[in-house]
Amino acid sequence: MSGESFADRSDRIERARAALKDEARTEPVARQHKRGKQTARERLACLFDEDRFEEFGGLVHEQHGSREDYPADGVICGVGRIDGRWVGVWAQDFTVMGGSVGPLGSSKMQRVIDQCMTQGLPLVMLIDSGGHRVQGGQDSWHFARTGRFFHDLVRLSGWVPMVAAVMGDGFAAGTNFAGVADFVIMVRGTATMGLSGPLLVKAATGEEITKEELGGADVQVDQNGLAHMGVDSEAEALDAVKRYLSYLPSSAQAPATIGPRDDPADRPCEAAASLVPVDSRKPYDVRKVIREVADQASVFEVQPTWGASAVTAFARMGGRAVGFVANQPMRLGGMLTAPACEKIAHFVAVCDAFGLPLIYLIDVPGFSIGTSAEKSMLGRRSARMVYEIGHATVPRISVVLRKGYGMGYVAMCGGRGFDVDAALAWPTAEICPMSIEGSVDVVYRKDYEQAPDPAARRQELIDEMRAMIDPLRAAGGFGIDDLIEPADTRRRLNDILSRAGTRRAVPMPPKVRSISPI
Amino acid sequence: MATRTIRAEMAGVILAIERQAGEAVELDDVVLVMESMKMEIPICAPRAGKVIEILVAEDEAVAEDQPLAVLEV
Repeated sequence: MSGESFADRSDRIERARAALKDEARTEPVARQHKRGKQTARERLACLFDEDRFEEFGGLVHEQHGSREDYPADGVICGVGRIDGRWVGVWAQDFTVMGGSVGPLGSSKMQRVIDQCMTQGLPLVMLIDSGGHRVQGGQDSWHFARTGRFFHDLVRLSGWVPMVAAVMGDGFAAGTNFAGVADFVIMVRGTATMGLSGPLLVKAATGEEITKEELGGADVQVDQNGLAHMGVDSEAEALDAVKRYLSYLPSSAQAPATIGPRDDPADRPCEAAASLVPVDSRKPYDVRKVIREVADQASVFEVQPTWGASAVTAFARMGGRAVGFVANQPMRLGGMLTAPACEKIAHFVAVCDAFGLPLIYLIDVPGFSIGTSAEKSMLGRRSARMVYEIGHATVPRISVVLRKGYGMGYVAMCGGRGFDVDAALAWPTAEICPMSIEGSVDVVYRKDYEQAPDPAARRQELIDEMRAMIDPLRAAGGFGIDDLIEPADTRRRLNDILSRAGTRRAVPMPPKVRSISPI
Repeated sequence: MATRTIRAEMAGVILAIERQAGEAVELDDVVLVMESMKMEIPICAPRAGKVIEILVAEDEAVAEDQPLAVLEV
């Protein structure tokens, strides 16, 4: 290259860079489009504010190989801006060796983690990959050391938001990465997740199963809860990434995001009372209550299809991001199942990590019971729900809409147990240790069976007990702070939030750590 | 065309059948209502589609995971 001018050299670098772009790689790009998928670069263009992506490691190549063999080594890494805030990103490029993770690619992803760690940037992973690159990688010389990748990924958890969008194959490595993320989105029809794909499953165990049946979104989002949300297109997936991040600060130490404040903080919730039937046998959709109470159009439900007897949703109150945790009487009567408990526990951890106050809307008949509940290890799943709120440092408020039964009421932050900033209840509240009929049948069965008219005696016992279960008695014993009118809920919550501050110290004995039940 | 079977998420009794075979449903439309745990529990369409078959009758006791209806989605 002797005699090469500065301009020549710049030109050569630009040509090397241009060769990486989709425009220079028409055939693999066309194949990717034919699969119904965008390229990694197209996805990044949708994700980031216009022209705000700074790539690093784009020019990598094997020591004795050519850059064109594995452009960017199959993963595009860098930092970009979403709504004006920097985030770190890796986007696996399926058009290069099926997006497989090679040694240079791993180093680049490690670099993204390092930048997120030191600069306090959210991490976004766009997953579309066959997993570990076996070609040249099936070698103890390389693999034995493993590297600090997962150690650092775990250390990143809770420091910055971590989001994964699976937009193609996500078996094996993709699932290992996303498994550590706070929020995982899958594109229905193209995304798959799981510890291994169907070919290895068949080779190892003989089980024959399709990709979709093993790890499609219908399975991994709706049935298993491995991922949090299934969407119908890549555009929706990227929108969901942006929406999720919009509620969270860039790191645990960064300032909170503030939304529009155009919905008056004291707006009466006129519709609220009519949304919740007084008859506690009747179902209703608690999402409508959340939408009525929260700032207009601010509600974003997290994990809507799994553990659906509970609702976890980000929203804003007076512009401030909050987390709503609610029982959903529309599904299983609002009972707390293992998925519902796991979903709530995870959501509480996320809200606590990033400083979002928690608002519990309680209408809980209790935990699920019976053989299937025990098989789901509900005893421990429910304990994790308590574990997470027990460690939370953020403000928390409870509002009993209707049923507040038993340990479910405790785990939903009812009463004084978790030192709420306010314990409120609507006039429809029924707070008691277990269902009235259930307690009569369990404890007073002998009593009414020996009566001359057992049915009448049973009813008499039920009526006596019902008279003790009354919102005024709950307020009378000072278990709750006050009874509020449904229409007044938004104003009261906003008043409390305005004085509740951001964090509180949770006094602990001099231990090193707590041990999660799960 | 793909089908989707709606199954009982818990044991209970069928209180009402709100949609019949052949009817179109939107996401979250109530297809059946069950009673369990002293609650009326609506069983909703998990996706938009069409009801192909209702597999239970009113007042029928159903077990957890029993198929209740088949949708075309």
